Amino acid sequence: MIRHTRVRGLGALAAALVMGACGDGSSARVDGDGGSAEDAGDGTAVTADDDGGSGTDSGEDFGPFVPGELVLPRLTASQYRHALVDLLGPDLPPTPVEGDTNPYLFYSIGATSTTLSELGTQLYEEAADVVTHAVFDDALRRAALVGCEPVAPADGCIAGFLAQFGRRAFRRPLTEAEHARYLAMAGELAQPDAWEGLRLAVAGMLQSPFFIYRVEIGSPDPADPTRLRYSGYEMASRMSFLLWDTIPDDELLAAAERGDLDSREGLETEARRLLASERASESIRAFFAQYLDLGRLDGLTRDPELFPLFTTTMPDSMRTETELVVDDVVFREQGDVRTIFSTRRTFVNDELATLYGIDAPGAGPITFVPVELPEDGPRAGILTFGAFLTMNARQIQTSPTLRGRYLRERVLCQQVPDPPPDVDAELDPPDGEPKTVREQLEEHRANPACASCHAFIDPPGLLFENFDASGVYRTEDNGFPIDASGDLDGIQLANASGLGDVLADDARIGTCLVQQVFRHAQGRLDTPDELPVILDLDARFAAVGYRFDELLVELVMHDGFRTAVAQEAE
Amino acid sequence: MAKRYLSRRTMLRGALGGGVTAAVGLPVLDAMLTSSGALADGLEDGPIAGIFFWANGLPWHGGHGTVQAGPADLWTPAATGAGFAPSDLLGHLGTHPYSIATGLTPMTAVPSDPPGQDDGHMRGFMVALTSDRPRPEGFHHASHTLTALRGSIDQYVAKHDEFYGSAVPRFRSLQIGVSDARFHDYGHWNAISYNGPDSLNIPVSDPAQLYDLLFSIPDDVDSVARRARLLDAVMDDAADLRAKLGAGDQTRLDEHLAHLDEIQRRLELTSTPCTGPAQPAPTADVHAKTAIMADLLAFGLGCGLTRVFSFMVTSPATTHVFSNLGVANDMHTVCHSGAWQSVYDITVYHMQALRIVLDRFATQVDPTGTTLLDRLCMLGTSEYGEGWQHGSAEHPVLLIGKSCGALVPNVHVREPGGNLAKAHVTMLRALGIDTPSYGFNGSETSDHLTGILA
Repeated sequence: MIRHTRVRGLGALAAALVMGACGDGSSARVDGDGGSAEDAGDGTAVTADDDGGSGTDSGEDFGPFVPGELVLPRLTASQYRHALVDLLGPDLPPTPVEGDTNPYLFYSIGATSTTLSELGTQLYEEAADVVTHAVFDDALRRAALVGCEPVAPADGCIAGFLAQFGRRAFRRPLTEAEHARYLAMAGELAQPDAWEGLRLAVAGMLQSPFFIYRVEIGSPDPADPTRLRYSGYEMASRMSFLLWDTIPDDELLAAAERGDLDSREGLETEARRLLASERASESIRAFFAQYLDLGRLDGLTRDPELFPLFTTTMPDSMRTETELVVDDVVFREQGDVRTIFSTRRTFVNDELATLYGIDAPGAGPITFVPVELPEDGPRAGILTFGAFLTMNARQIQTSPTLRGRYLRERVLCQQVPDPPPDVDAELDPPDGEPKTVREQLEEHRANPACASCHAFIDPPGLLFENFDASGVYRTEDNGFPIDASGDLDGIQLANASGLGDVLADDARIGTCLVQQVFRHAQGRLDTPDELPVILDLDARFAAVGYRFDELLVELVMHDGFRTAVAQEAE
Repeated sequence: MAKRYLSRRTMLRGALGGGVTAAVGLPVLDAMLTSSGALADGLEDGPIAGIFFWANGLPWHGGHGTVQAGPADLWTPAATGAGFAPSDLLGHLGTHPYSIATGLTPMTAVPSDPPGQDDGHMRGFMVALTSDRPRPEGFHHASHTLTALRGSIDQYVAKHDEFYGSAVPRFRSLQIGVSDARFHDYGHWNAISYNGPDSLNIPVSDPAQLYDLLFSIPDDVDSVARRARLLDAVMDDAADLRAKLGAGDQTRLDEHLAHLDEIQRRLELTSTPCTGPAQPAPTADVHAKTAIMADLLAFGLGCGLTRVFSFMVTSPATTHVFSNLGVANDMHTVCHSGAWQSVYDITVYHMQALRIVLDRFATQVDPTGTTLLDRLCMLGTSEYGEGWQHGSAEHPVLLIGKSCGALVPNVHVREPGGNLAKAHVTMLRALGIDTPSYGFNGSETSDHLTGILA
């Protein structure tokens, strides 16, 4: 286990996170209501390090924390699909399910707050029928899955398989009542034969709320009865869905059964095993896609007459570029993840190379090649790459406000309030004499109701003015030379190429990533009482050189991830 | 206290002595139903309740507020009463039977805390669909989602004992969408039909999916019955889980359970297929897709698969880009940029979409010569009066169809500042549902729209 000691003042860090929210100092999500750790309640301190207690030691004392409430996530669409494949094997027919939602940043949060619709329930019913038919109507597939031949309804073969299948589907051993329930169904519905009864019993398990939802409810923590501690099986589920985006494999369930996942060491061992798999890459890629809000690229279009380089396939190319950059830093280099905001190494296909005006030998329509962008060029870090620049622009013109807001909210986790409802957030149409976007924005900011927030958002957003609404580099706007100068919290910059250097060692990015991973992993926002957990994980993240995989290991072992408090009763 | 779920089967088991697990025939009154779950043909089939919804209201004019003054009012007919001449925008609906109420506005109280509850996206939408205000927390609720305090009017009808009685068809209601563009992928941005707080009925906007839902019946009907029976085990699991959850998640699970019960009932009613059209091909064109979805819906209504539906051509605050109309930006942005002409062009397009639905309904005729329009009682509405300033005055209200003679077509009722909830009272009474009053939190009224109700 990686340990470190580091001294950093809690107050200084909290103050840095609070900084600058439209002038009222109320922005930073990470500190919740702005309270300090000293105000954070009566929870267990995060300085002890024993398996029965709170047990996290970053070398610093961030004070006590109170864990957040239990949640009941429904499997996301990808988790559901992955689980079906893990349970029944590959090559299953497509089965639509109700779409994920992200009312706040992550699908995992939508999964805990959205109520399944009637149509969604029906889709589960139909999917269970379709996939079980695909397997059980094929004599070879069902034999391979079940491993024995039933000779009578609900016989020993079926009873054994249901226990084994149910353990994986429900991520824990079935209770006697559950086993009896599905065994009875397998017998009653065995028409015309025992296989059909078994197929339907399996289809039933695939609709059970114990499969559809992640039931992780814990039990009173012996070390602190005011909170709940997740069981080994529940930790297996939490780890697996976080790191693999699917149900636990047999090895992980076996570890839970042995009690290995009741200790930090056991959790670390299994977390490292899961992270070493290619399946973890897919999960981490999915996290970054949500963290960076890449879903907004879907369906993004530009007028082909105004933006001839922006093809219909360009949004996908931009998404792939971003994913490859993240992969490169997280997996190949295993480096400081914050360098995604400063790197000049990227991956382009032929159309992106054209958009960027660079040579990329070997690049093709679906072939991305690594390129080193010139040191004296305008692009450095993903904020100067196509995805960010187009997602945060209007259809026709750029938007320093959208770009600045993204930087504030997504990269630095600072809160920018929505504009007041009676204020028109749009720039005035460019009538009369032509103006640059900067000039239009300055007029807009003359409105006192807008000024304080825009003074916070726009100065960093203006740094990107050398890139038009399709991400193409430009030197003129509306026929006028572009002034792309701006600043980030008082650091004056000539344009966006210098921003990467500023962000490269900005501690706020690490803290923000910790906070976002925590939310993603928990399926809810962090509470003010969990600030010590965020800060402790942040310290650990810094100590391991901001390696993202190491952050995940620390998170899985952390009491902030292993404990909860009950929801309010009925 | 949160409701405690009891399925029909659970109740039946209780009647049999409790704890008995047995396959028991449900009291579906088969003798009253056709193979698809409908009553006999003709007007005695009963009225059809519907909602037709389009996004972002109307092109603004002085009636919406002083800021919006300038452009002419191209929605409100010049004359009131029977036999009015259609306005510019209404002219796109042709000669189909409808009446219009103008001047109506949400009357719900607007609490000051938390602020922002008067925003049209929230208030106008909720009152038009529920006659109630939104959940006060708005977007700042723990779920991060704006929601309704109660079910929308289509669900109020679909679940009212006086509407279906014991002859509930295979689908208690259907929700249909056309444009896939969404301002967000959650909450009321994604659906207009509510069962209650946080419980949405997501529309089907894929023609192939709607086709399968309505017309694809397995050859082996007995296997469908076994699938229905299987849901008993699923619901027993859910009951076990429920006891372990906190109040919030119990509510979510209760909704899931209610859906399971409804799907079990639907499976039990799945027998002889309803003859539909050919399998539709996909299209991204809104009018072409409207025609496909209207065709599928008309066949389904004709077969008696349901008597309640909602038809959302565009979603609230839609981000659909009407590039076919020469509009470069998405509609929500277009509204906020004050581009009146573009909003007008899009509203014309919305009215043409409504016309496509009505044209199709007019051609669905049963053996007695009754058309779907003869039975239809459809509220045509949007989320607010206009989208530039989110003005909630002059909320668009159309009452479309004859509702088996209960609605009087071709009437213009004008009530400046009138209560928008009157549209719901009118609709409910036209559907034969006893409605002494309707509306909540300041919008209560016992009045319907005089002249539109026969």
